[in-house]
Amino acid sequence: MYEKENMILETRHLVKRFPVANHRYLTACDDISLKFYRGQTLGIVGESGCGKSTFMKMLVHLEEPSAGEILFHGEDILKFSKKKRRLNRCKIQMVFQDPMASFDPKMRIRDIICEPLLNFNLISKKDKNSIAKEFLEMVELPAEMADRFPHSLSGGQRQRIGVARALTLNPEIMICDEATSALDVSVQKSIMELIARLQREKGISIGFICHDVALVGQISHQVAVMYLGNIVEILPGDHLKDQGRHPYTKALMSSIFHLDMDFQKKIESLEGDVPSPLNIPPGCPFQNRCKQRIKRCLVEKPYLKEIGEQHFAACHLDI
Amino acid sequence: MLSISNLTVQYGENPPALEHFNLEMDPGEIVCIVGESGSGKTTIIRSIMGLLPSNGNIVEGSMYFEGNSLLSYSKEQWRSLRGTKISIIFQDSGAMINPIRKIKHQFVEYIRTHQTMSSHEAENLGKEMLAKMQLPSVDNIMNSYAFQLSGGMRQRVGIAMAMTFQPKLLMADEPTSALDVTTQAQIVRQILELRNRFHTGIILVTHNLGVAAYMADKIMVMKDGHIVDMGKRSKVLQYPQSDYTKKLLASVPALDGERYV
Repeated sequence: MYEKENMILETRHLVKRFPVANHRYLTACDDISLKFYRGQTLGIVGESGCGKSTFMKMLVHLEEPSAGEILFHGEDILKFSKKKRRLNRCKIQMVFQDPMASFDPKMRIRDIICEPLLNFNLISKKDKNSIAKEFLEMVELPAEMADRFPHSLSGGQRQRIGVARALTLNPEIMICDEATSALDVSVQKSIMELIARLQREKGISIGFICHDVALVGQISHQVAVMYLGNIVEILPGDHLKDQGRHPYTKALMSSIFHLDMDFQKKIESLEGDVPSPLNIPPGCPFQNRCKQRIKRCLVEKPYLKEIGEQHFAACHLDI
Repeated sequence: MLSISNLTVQYGENPPALEHFNLEMDPGEIVCIVGESGSGKTTIIRSIMGLLPSNGNIVEGSMYFEGNSLLSYSKEQWRSLRGTKISIIFQDSGAMINPIRKIKHQFVEYIRTHQTMSSHEAENLGKEMLAKMQLPSVDNIMNSYAFQLSGGMRQRVGIAMAMTFQPKLLMADEPTSALDVTTQAQIVRQILELRNRFHTGIILVTHNLGVAAYMADKIMVMKDGHIVDMGKRSKVLQYPQSDYTKKLLASVPALDGERYV
């Protein structure tokens, strides 16, 4: 599953710093190395501001990295010419959180679905009807919907159109940034089932971000846990529940409320807040909230090391 | 303590947003209301606070709070009730706090509106409340503006304000929805501690079924202005009556639930 020939995209030591006032820098992503495999979902969990969206945006060229490499089938896409870069966008597509904001309200569904294809001159205008029908069918919507406008669709239907539009160009990677967060849970479930089915059929690789940690665990083959711009742990999705070993992953998991939990048990929560990304402390990013902190954590930054099969963690402790 | 029966609320000429709504609440009890957007959750809270918008009318029903009919209250009586015996915390307390005034001035103003006391005393009372919410360096927070605080801190300031007069009934409208999971866990824990300390009854509106399940004594499931399920937590979770509740419970993502891949 994790053989080299199945690897589509790899980031190496990707860094993003945003300049702010007084010649200071906000570090959103710090040295991120992750891999996307064919037909696999890589989920990223972490709290708001940890840099997970910035990371995904760099993959689709919406942000320019400050340092590092993005290797797409071994080629660094950051070194591509403008033209090549534009063509490469076909390969990595994105589904946004709020389809109402990402669709032109004055375009019909047919035009929304066909726009990427027309943009890359892959179809002619007279094919629009049949193409729209094909993709509506793919996302389990009736073909009559092609004539409607986004505002007359429900949130779930709209998000299905979002998925259809992302898949028109037959991408190798689809990025879902909080794609189901605005939906009710029952609708969310049907969209997740759709995404999982399309992945099985087409073998696309998915990058999935969501604030609902349980949902990320359910959809992902691999989960990366991010904290303050750093990846602190990478583990298989089905191990997320009870085999996380980094102190932050454990704290995150114990903060989740679910229906089968022991309601009598006192919840343990982390104290304090995430430090400002404007001045990240030297050493471990999690040091100020970690209950098991040792002296070494204050001075030396831990790097990801393999602690099990497909399981990596960045921690100095013997975890 | 609170008894609502047969309440129907209508906005203008539209079909009722809330129909034949009943709720009985004991002191110190936590009732969680869940349901999707547009199911009438916020209308309930607004009715109890007497804060329905001008086109919202209570067309039928009665509301009793500590034995008094709320519907017969005058404007003045409502005013003295709100913020003292009945308080509310919002989804984002940052939006409640005036952005161009320091927390200190607003807290003092709030306290002195409801009780005669010197500014100095009011400030100390405010600090005491902030300290009870386990906020670090209360002096610092009192001298801050809302934007200087993190979302979790703002929410705790909001709760501290709402709890100042030890209300009998606290209404919380999605108090943790804007927060991250670790912050959410902190706030949930603190709201439960407050209940134990002050014996406050809490009506919590949330779409997070996990949070509702953890906090609630009673759970109420709403759909399109109607109660579709209501009862003790264990009853609703284990033996849901309506199909809607069953579907809702089955859709909640769970870590050990069915995997999509």
